Amino acid sequence: MMKDSSQRSLDELLASLPQEIAPPRRVWPRIAARLERHPRRSRPLFLAAAAAIVGACIASTLTWSVLRGRAAPDSPQPTMRASSFDEPRDAHYVAARDSLESTFRERLALLDPGTRAKIESSLAVIRQAHKDIRKALGSDPANPVLEQLWQSTWHDELNLYDDVIQATQSTLTRT
Amino acid sequence: MDGAAEPTDVVLAAAGGDLHAFEQLYRQFSPRIYGLCLRLTGQREAAEDCTQESFVAAWRALRGFEQRSRFSTWLHRIAVRTVLARRRGLRVEYEVSEPASGLPEVADPAGDGMPHDLERAIAALPEGARHVLVLVGIYGFSHAEAAAALGTAEGTCKAQLHRARGLLATALGMVE
Repeated sequence: MMKDSSQRSLDELLASLPQEIAPPRRVWPRIAARLERHPRRSRPLFLAAAAAIVGACIASTLTWSVLRGRAAPDSPQPTMRASSFDEPRDAHYVAARDSLESTFRERLALLDPGTRAKIESSLAVIRQAHKDIRKALGSDPANPVLEQLWQSTWHDELNLYDDVIQATQSTLTRT
Repeated sequence: MDGAAEPTDVVLAAAGGDLHAFEQLYRQFSPRIYGLCLRLTGQREAAEDCTQESFVAAWRALRGFEQRSRFSTWLHRIAVRTVLARRRGLRVEYEVSEPASGLPEVADPAGDGMPHDLERAIAALPEGARHVLVLVGIYGFSHAEAAAALGTAEGTCKAQLHRARGLLATALGMVE
């Protein structure tokens, strides 16, 4: 009886906590800056070609893995399903990605050291996030939110390459 | 989980790429998302990062949001997953003596003048117990919703809540 009344008081205390806490004002501008940097837009043709190959490979791999997961919902194959989120290894994908990364590296070298350091640091954050999410997918491979986040970090990396290549395009044209 | 009206039109506009509509969604939902992240992480900086990451992830995934669940439920799940993903990557150290700066102090509803620092006691709970208590006890998740969001079994979720309540009651001097 004593315990019941304590638990009721605890419930009342918990219920008295505010669910809403206003975030600091600086949070939205940071989000908006990231969204504006990568708006939902069409890409320039020369990049679209390279990114499309990469994107198609990603999409096909994901679609294939999702379809495979749906085809056998009752067969517990955690290792197989987790590994289906590995980076694709087919030759077209590897070549396209290598070429994109190599262009990115060349263009990165054209930037001043401060900007370069910031970009390297952003890239490290994206790659770490990608690694973390992939690890999480290892224990929860069918989680749709993790899948979305996983794809999102992949796109973040490609967008970063894209931004650097675009930003340095005018420098190359002038020289 | 959230009794607020679902802003269907705004969600549709944001899904179509309207950044102003998305900002409206941020204004409406960020206090709950930030509050949730702050209590789950126990750190203001981590909560800011997780709020930011959650909304960026939501923007990216919004085109694929099929409205099979409420937008708020979907967003809360993204936030919980973001916190968990961050936790797996970074070993967050909770500072029990100085927890969660930015959390509001809670008045003692019994009015007996005892300084019940409930937020401090919650922040000092073991991680698994704290996560379940925050989701179920404060944010009104059902056990099934909390278990799905945390990636645990419903039974584990119930056991963690029981443990959390016991530890909290002891910390607050509510049991013998």
